[in-house]
Amino acid sequence: MENETELRKPKGAGGYVLIAVSAIFFFVFLILPLVTVFQNAFSDGMLPYFKAVMDVYTRKATLLTLEVTAIALCVNTVFGLFAVWAVTKFQFQGKRILTTLIDLPVSVSPVIAGLMYILLYGRTSPLYPWLKSHSIHIVFAVPAIVIATIFVTFPYVFREIVPVLETEGTDEEEAAAIMGANWWTIFSRVTFPHMKWAFFYGIVLCTARAMGEFGAVSILSGHLRGLTNTLPLHVEILFNEFNSQAAFAVSSILVIIAIGILIVRSLLEARAKG
Amino acid sequence: MYVELRDINKTFGNYKASDHVSFSIEKGKLVGLLGPSGSGKTTILRMIAGLETPDSGDILIDGKRVNDIPASRRGIGFMFQNYALFRYMTVEENIAFGLRVQKKDRRYIKKQVSDLLELVGLEGLGRRYPSQLSGGQRQRVAFARAIAPNPQLLLLDEPFAAIDAKVRQELRLWLKSMIQKLGITSIFVTHDQDEAIEVADDIIITSSGRIEQVGTPLEIYQSPRTPFTAAFIGQPTIITNYTDFHNFERIAGATEAIVRPEFIKMTKKGELMEYRASAEEGVVEGKLFRGTHMDIRVRVNGDLLTARRGLEDDDVSIGEKVDIFIYRLFVAAGDKVYLLKNESLREEEFVI
Repeated sequence: MENETELRKPKGAGGYVLIAVSAIFFFVFLILPLVTVFQNAFSDGMLPYFKAVMDVYTRKATLLTLEVTAIALCVNTVFGLFAVWAVTKFQFQGKRILTTLIDLPVSVSPVIAGLMYILLYGRTSPLYPWLKSHSIHIVFAVPAIVIATIFVTFPYVFREIVPVLETEGTDEEEAAAIMGANWWTIFSRVTFPHMKWAFFYGIVLCTARAMGEFGAVSILSGHLRGLTNTLPLHVEILFNEFNSQAAFAVSSILVIIAIGILIVRSLLEARAKG
Repeated sequence: MYVELRDINKTFGNYKASDHVSFSIEKGKLVGLLGPSGSGKTTILRMIAGLETPDSGDILIDGKRVNDIPASRRGIGFMFQNYALFRYMTVEENIAFGLRVQKKDRRYIKKQVSDLLELVGLEGLGRRYPSQLSGGQRQRVAFARAIAPNPQLLLLDEPFAAIDAKVRQELRLWLKSMIQKLGITSIFVTHDQDEAIEVADDIIITSSGRIEQVGTPLEIYQSPRTPFTAAFIGQPTIITNYTDFHNFERIAGATEAIVRPEFIKMTKKGELMEYRASAEEGVVEGKLFRGTHMDIRVRVNGDLLTARRGLEDDDVSIGEKVDIFIYRLFVAAGDKVYLLKNESLREEEFVI
C-alpha cells in the first residue's frame, strides 16, 4: 500500500504541469462560467433576483420542466427495465440491432430529433388530418415536449444497467427458479439488488438530461409563454429580450438543480463502491 | 432406476451437445459425469434439472417423465459451478430461500437452517454475506442451500472447480461422506478424473455429446471399453507402432497402443530385472519431479514413453541408456479396445 501511494504522488515537473493544465482548464471552462451565472443573476441585488425567480412565467416554466421530466423519467424507467430484461436474460434475433438502436438518441443531434417529430406529427404529415379530426394536439403543445424529452433521454437507464447485469450472468436467477421462486421474487430479491445502484444512477443521469434538454424541445414547443415554455426555453427568451439579469437568475435555478443532482450522483457512486 | 435418460438429443446451433444419450442411475448412488470440456456433460445435467430442454428423447425421474415439468417442480437441488449464492443475502437467508419460497412455517425454517448450518459446520457464520466467506465455506453454503428443501435428486456442476487445490482434496471427502450420510441420489459433473474416481460410485464418461462408458471407477480404469476412454483415463502415452515391441500379441489392422506409466518398469543397466531378455532399450530424454516420484521420459523404438521412478531409487541422467519392460498395453482397433499382456509374463505363469 505504501509503495502504491509513493508511486501515485506526482514526481518531477511532468506531473505538476499536467495537474496545473487540468486545473486551469477546469477553472476557465467550468468554474468561471458558473461564477458568472450567479454574479449576473445578483448583479442588481437580491430583490430583482427573487422577482425574476418568482415571476409567474418562471414558475410555470419550472413546473412544466418538472412535469415533463417526471413523465419522461417514468416512461424511460419502465421501458429501460423491460429492454434490460429482454436483452440480458434472453437470446433472440435482432438483439444486436435493438441494442444499437437504443443508442440512437445519443448520437443524433436533438435538433434533428425535433425535426423528425415535426415531420411526423406536424401540418405536413399524413397523420395530421387524423390527429386534427380527433383534436389531438401534439406539435407546439406539451405532448411534443414530453415526446422529445423521452426521445433524448431514453438510453440512460438501459445503458447504465446492461453492463452490470451482463457481468452478473443468470446463475443466481436460475438457482432461485429451481427452488421455485416466481418471476417477481426473482426480480425483487435477486436481480434488482444487483442493479440497484446502476439503476439509480441511470435515473439521475436521465433526470439531469431531461431538465436541460433544449434543442428538440425548442423546435417542438412553439415557445408559448406560460404554456409550452420549459426552463431552458424561458432562459433563451429572456436573454433574447436583453433581460440578461433575469435570464441568469432563471439559469441559476437550473444550475442549483444540476448541482443537487451532482451531489446525489456522487453519493450514489460512493454507496455503490462501498 | 431412479433417473433415466432415453435417447436424448440436443443441439445448440451447429454444436451437437447430446447425441443419442441414454443412461440410468440407481437410487442413492453418487454418479460422476466425466469428460473433457465441451463433451456435453453440463448440458446433460442442465437438462435433468430442467434448465435446458432436450430436442428429443425422454427424461424420467422416479418413473415419471419430467420433460414438461418446470425445473421448480422437479424436486431437484442444484449446485452451480460458481455456487451462484445470492450475494445480497446472508448465509441464513441463502439457505432459507427455497423454504421461504415454499411458504414453510417460520419456526420450521429457523430450525432447518440452524440444523443445516450445524451439518455443514458453519455454526455462527449465518449472519455473514457470501463475500465474507472462503471458497470452501461458500461451497458448504451452496450445498446446504441445495439440500434445504429436501430434494430427491441433487445435481452438482463442477462442485470443486472454484476451490484451490489443497482445500479441494479435503472437500471431496467431505462432500462424499455428506451425500452418503443423507442417502440422496446425486449426479456431479467434472472434467477431473481423479475427482471422479475418488468421489463417484459410478462414472459416466462423455465425449462429443456421446456416452462412452458407464461403470464403477475400477471398471473404467482397468477395462476401458472404447478407444476414447482408454486414451482419456490415467496418464496415457500413445505408442504409434506397438508391433515394434516384443512379446505382444498382434491384432489385425491395429498399430496404435496406449500405455500408462504404471504399465512400465524402467531399470538402470546393471539393476536386477526379471524379464531382461524381453525388455527394450531406451534413452532418457527428460525428467520431471512430481513430488512423490519422478516422471522419466524415455525414447523407445521412436516413441516417447513416460515411466515412474521412486525418489529412493538411484537417479538416472539424461542421455542414459535404460531398460524398459512393458507389462501390458491397450490396443485400439476400430471402436474396440483390447488389453494385451506381455507374453513373457504368461510364459512365467506357465512355468509355475
